[in-house]
Amino acid sequence: MTTTEKVHRFSGKRELEELIQTCVSIENRRFNPFLLDIAEALSIIRQHSNQLRTLDDHLLDMRAITSVARVVGLQSAHLRFQSSSLFIDPSMVKQKLDSLSREQLAEFLLLSWHPIVELEQLTLASTKEAKEFWERMLSFFERRKRLHLGPFDNPEATNLAELAKMRVVDEKAYTRKMQDLWNELKKRAGEDETVDYWDFIKASNFAQTVTRAQLVSFLVSYGYANLQRKDNTMFLVPKAKPHPHPEGSPLSFPIPITKEALVRAK
Amino acid sequence: MLFFKRGRVPGARSWELKTGLGKGYAKILEQLDENLKDLDLEVKKVEPQSQSDFKQGPEAGEEESRYFVRLKGTLAPKEARLCGWRIDNLAALAAALVLVVSKQGKSERKELETVIGNKAGRWRALTLMDTFLRSGYLEEDEEGLVKLGWRTRAELDLPSLMMLLAESTASSPESSEPVEDDQASIEG
Repeated sequence: MTTTEKVHRFSGKRELEELIQTCVSIENRRFNPFLLDIAEALSIIRQHSNQLRTLDDHLLDMRAITSVARVVGLQSAHLRFQSSSLFIDPSMVKQKLDSLSREQLAEFLLLSWHPIVELEQLTLASTKEAKEFWERMLSFFERRKRLHLGPFDNPEATNLAELAKMRVVDEKAYTRKMQDLWNELKKRAGEDETVDYWDFIKASNFAQTVTRAQLVSFLVSYGYANLQRKDNTMFLVPKAKPHPHPEGSPLSFPIPITKEALVRAK
Repeated sequence: MLFFKRGRVPGARSWELKTGLGKGYAKILEQLDENLKDLDLEVKKVEPQSQSDFKQGPEAGEEESRYFVRLKGTLAPKEARLCGWRIDNLAALAAALVLVVSKQGKSERKELETVIGNKAGRWRALTLMDTFLRSGYLEEDEEGLVKLGWRTRAELDLPSLMMLLAESTASSPESSEPVEDDQASIEG
């Protein structure tokens, strides 16, 4: 085989591979099926048909033909779809989706939605299984013995303070905590009307610091305070009256709580 | 047989109904449909899914058709909320379905997640996609492309949904703002 022939074969192989790749992309809905000129694709396949020597060459040729055939099928399906009432251009759909509100979209779905009625029920087999499980199950005290939990204490009554100490419930409601923190912020801001963010959230331990940072994020989101940045420093500016954003916070600003930042704070 | 869920998918197949009710099951279903009208319910027949893009009509036999009982009318937003549906989730489902339909029934998962993300927040988009796939509104094929699921074919009037979308006009800019990630995660 001469060098020219070799180059010819190599470029032919590459062209067929590119053709197959284009067909695969069309099948995966990345492109419109009419992007491929079928006559041109067939002429490429025909052009290289006399250079098929090995089994791999023939397989590649076959893959190219079947890929083009699939695209022809997709073109036919596309035409059928365009003539149906469901046809809207995907780019137009995307534009519409961007411009419509969530409420509008939900309403459209509700107007076209007929949910299925589904009832769950006990079957004879599942009832039998449940009964067998219940009968085989050891008593509570038997199962407890296996866990080696020591002597069994009878249940006792407790109060809210005790539960709060055990961290089962919070002593104060969340809104109350926010209110207290807002008052603290106003007090600490004083005449300057600003407080350094890190100074304010820093507490005696890390868990407390994270809790304060979370509360502060709600104070800012709900319009009780503003967060301002000057160079590398962040300041909290309390508001005299809360000014909530009805549509939620206009932007999101993540603040990582790092050891270095806490050390730098007074 | 139609009301009670016996497997993962509710409803009953044609052959099951034929075995249970005899050859004249179609007439019995017609009668049932008539009786259910008073309850604002109806019997819906769903043809087996066509396996190919290129063949028209059902290719599996009538035996594989599935019958469901579904709401004849539609739900008000309040009623949908009572069923556990949030407005965000309904909007996300609507967005996913119209995009898949506009792409002739198949779309890339990533593209769907981006579109849902614009409406419900990026992180919620991932969980919502899984929910829609799990509940049967969408299905993922072996090539990783997402297509309409059995539940969509049973519950949704797609021509009506597409028509509503085509005829719609944009709302005020404030209400079409995308959801911030933090806001979405707090809600969800």
